[in-house]
Amino acid sequence: MSTTTAHPSAADAAPQSVAAPSAAERPLPVLAVDLVTEPALLGGLAELARDLEQAGVGALTLSDGGLHPIHVAAHLAPLTSSIGLLPRTDAVYVEPFHLATQLMSLDHLSHGRAGWLLRAETDPEVAATVGRTVLDLAATAREAADVLETARLLWDSWAPDAVVRDVASGTYVDAARLQYVDVEAETFSVRGPAITPRSPQGLLPVLLADTDRAAAGERTAERADGRVLDLDLSSGLTIAQAAVRIREALAAVPAPGSSAEGGAVLEDPADSGAAPDAAAVRLVRLVGLDLEADPLGTVAGLTADLRSEGLIAPAPTPGQDLRTRLGLSPAPFRLDPARRSDRARLSREESA
Amino acid sequence: MTTTSPTRHRARAERPLSAEAAALATGPAAHPLHPDHTPTGQLAFGAFFQGVNSSTIWRLPASGDQVAWDSFEALVRTAERGKFAAFFLGEGLRLREHRGVPFELDVAGRPDAQTLLAALAGVTERIGLVATQNTTYNDPVDLARRLQTLDLLSGGRAGWNIVTTDNAWTGENFRRGGYLDHADRYLHAEAFVQVAGQYWRGERIAHDGAHYTVRAQGELPRSAQGSPVLFQAGASPDGQDFAARTADVIFSPHGTLEAAAHFRRSIVERTVAAGRDPAGVKILPGAEIILAATEAEAEEKVRWVRDQQVGPEQAIALLEQYWGRDLSAFDPDGPLPDVPPEVAESGVTRGAGFQFAKAEELTRTWREEATQKGQSILEFARAKAGARRGTFTGSYDTVADRLEEFARLGAIDGLNITPWLIPSGLDDIVDELIPRLQERGVYPSDYAGSTLRENLGLPAV
Ligand SMILES: Cc1cc2nc3c(=O)[nH]c(=O)nc-3n(C[C@H](O)[C@H](O)[C@H](O)COP(=O)(O)O)c2cc1C
Repeated sequence: MSTTTAHPSAADAAPQSVAAPSAAERPLPVLAVDLVTEPALLGGLAELARDLEQAGVGALTLSDGGLHPIHVAAHLAPLTSSIGLLPRTDAVYVEPFHLATQLMSLDHLSHGRAGWLLRAETDPEVAATVGRTVLDLAATAREAADVLETARLLWDSWAPDAVVRDVASGTYVDAARLQYVDVEAETFSVRGPAITPRSPQGLLPVLLADTDRAAAGERTAERADGRVLDLDLSSGLTIAQAAVRIREALAAVPAPGSSAEGGAVLEDPADSGAAPDAAAVRLVRLVGLDLEADPLGTVAGLTADLRSEGLIAPAPTPGQDLRTRLGLSPAPFRLDPARRSDRARLSREESA
Repeated sequence: MTTTSPTRHRARAERPLSAEAAALATGPAAHPLHPDHTPTGQLAFGAFFQGVNSSTIWRLPASGDQVAWDSFEALVRTAERGKFAAFFLGEGLRLREHRGVPFELDVAGRPDAQTLLAALAGVTERIGLVATQNTTYNDPVDLARRLQTLDLLSGGRAGWNIVTTDNAWTGENFRRGGYLDHADRYLHAEAFVQVAGQYWRGERIAHDGAHYTVRAQGELPRSAQGSPVLFQAGASPDGQDFAARTADVIFSPHGTLEAAAHFRRSIVERTVAAGRDPAGVKILPGAEIILAATEAEAEEKVRWVRDQQVGPEQAIALLEQYWGRDLSAFDPDGPLPDVPPEVAESGVTRGAGFQFAKAEELTRTWREEATQKGQSILEFARAKAGARRGTFTGSYDTVADRLEEFARLGAIDGLNITPWLIPSGLDDIVDELIPRLQERGVYPSDYAGSTLRENLGLPAV
């Protein structure tokens, strides 16, 4: 989108005004457990989520096993109190507007515990469900990055104080505090603003699992808020092995700031939209949970041991949003005067 | 449909019908409106959290946050306490605009309906969860899968209110833009619903239609009610025929006894013509209910509610929508503007209720009407706001009597109630009106079952 957008500032989606934390103060990754949204999960879903939360797990990622991951995450929101909720969903064979709306709604109803584990679909059968032919890898990556930028623009299209409820003037919402998104990407366009007011976190954290990196492409990786390290439980992972993997991953991360320099596709590096610390490992995700056996036993032990070794972040506390727990600064609202939603009125007033 | 469910009260000794109702009844008590229709004598209520409108009052201290989870949770809990069959959410896929700028005077912005309902499924047990979802700007398999997910998460309580908004202005938020001819909106919707049905039944889908090419495989198990209940909101003849062929429930705009009776006849005719049992199509008009202990208090309350709903700025904006020009120089307490409209038709940007009015004719009629009634701009706008809704106002007893009559005639199967205040707007309905309806034997004392189909008296699929 950065090369095709009609509007120069439309590519300018990620918050950059905040200084990246130094390596020393970089927070520990949050431990997440991946649940595959299979219908078999239904009966014990709420109990499992609460048990994992009790065990000190910091976040759940919801991978697609049939039930829609965003709805499953939403369902769990009022049934849990502190655990982060990150659906792992496709950015390509979707309506960007619906996807952004659903994710920001999840953030509202979870009181700021929502995130997005972005993936870029490459399965032709999924493309066929929406009547499309699967894209090649380059086009897949382009579209994923465009959709990510569009989602962020939509999330940022209402100022935090846009709902004014000013009884004296009869004004519920101030259009000067809303902005269009005006996205003209290669394969879609979106006018905006969002139909949902700004969510508690403003911009949801967007993370990218290492396994999803190839399809999602460089531009998405640079613009994501961080990496996800996957540890597979199905092969009988020991605490020692897990600890080694996490130490390696944390050590391999380049110094903060250096990751933003790869913006070759962009005209203006200052306007790159790259996240300040996209290469940081923000989430350690346990995948391959065996629902038939005793998943919790393994997870609770792993969580306690990794935490006592100082390799993962403390258990989440209620009221703390997911950005904070992941070590991301609050997302500032960024108003672009050219996209102000009251521009039609301004130009009427000018010509009058 | 049976009325012998153990959860329902037996009707007490019947009062005679009012003159108005008696005049509308053209057949015997078993079939007062149409030989092919037998009233169930029962009402089911839905709570319609419209979200974006001029009927929800935002300027009072008691007006809750329109986006906060707590507001939705509080309202759905009250509705479930009152044995409401369903909790409805509306949808609009573009922020409403007025003269090219997001409309500032009404409640605006709401969460995604289905995402919210998936969460509400976790804190409720019996109430149905119905999402308004558009067929023009969704992909059928994606929407079908999300609805089936909701149906499974809620144990068979999901419903889909099918709407067909097709304008290109809304389309600017979506991949295909404004691609659909208004005349084709229901052809398109029918193909969409067909694909969704195949998905729900777990079939292999190979659909090559005028509007979609879809290859997919239904992959989820059936829910406790089989598949989501289909609601339809759309009043045109094409919309009615679509409902008669496809829908389980019609969310209609006809809230007066006379209009509801005519609409029932129309739907029965169309349902029979479509080869379906008319008992399988329920009608729930949208309604606003304003209650008080006495008639006089209720009258006073209606005036107060209208004052809160429509301020001077909104009155001017209402006229501007149809005049298509700046009318801010006109005094809200003065007569209607004596200037001609600048547009031929009102636009789509303020929501479905506003579109396609012929401006020249409408503004002339309005001016004549207001002059004749001696109404100022503000008085006229407030009267219009009241007239737009199916409104039930009065003392608890008179409204209960009136609704009993609707039920006995079989003009409606219930109401879809829009509270004028969030989240306390259902309190007096649940605490005062519903017990009176239960005494009259026209409202269930408990949920008939655990699924939405059961609680609406619909056959399983
Ligand atoms: C009672 C009622 C409620 C409606 N609610 C919505 C809504 O929440 N969102 C929406 O997009 N359309 C809504 N509509 C309008 C639908 O978009 C409908 O498809 C539109 O009126 C066009 O159909 P028609 O020409 O048959 O009336 C509603 C219509 C009625 C009658």
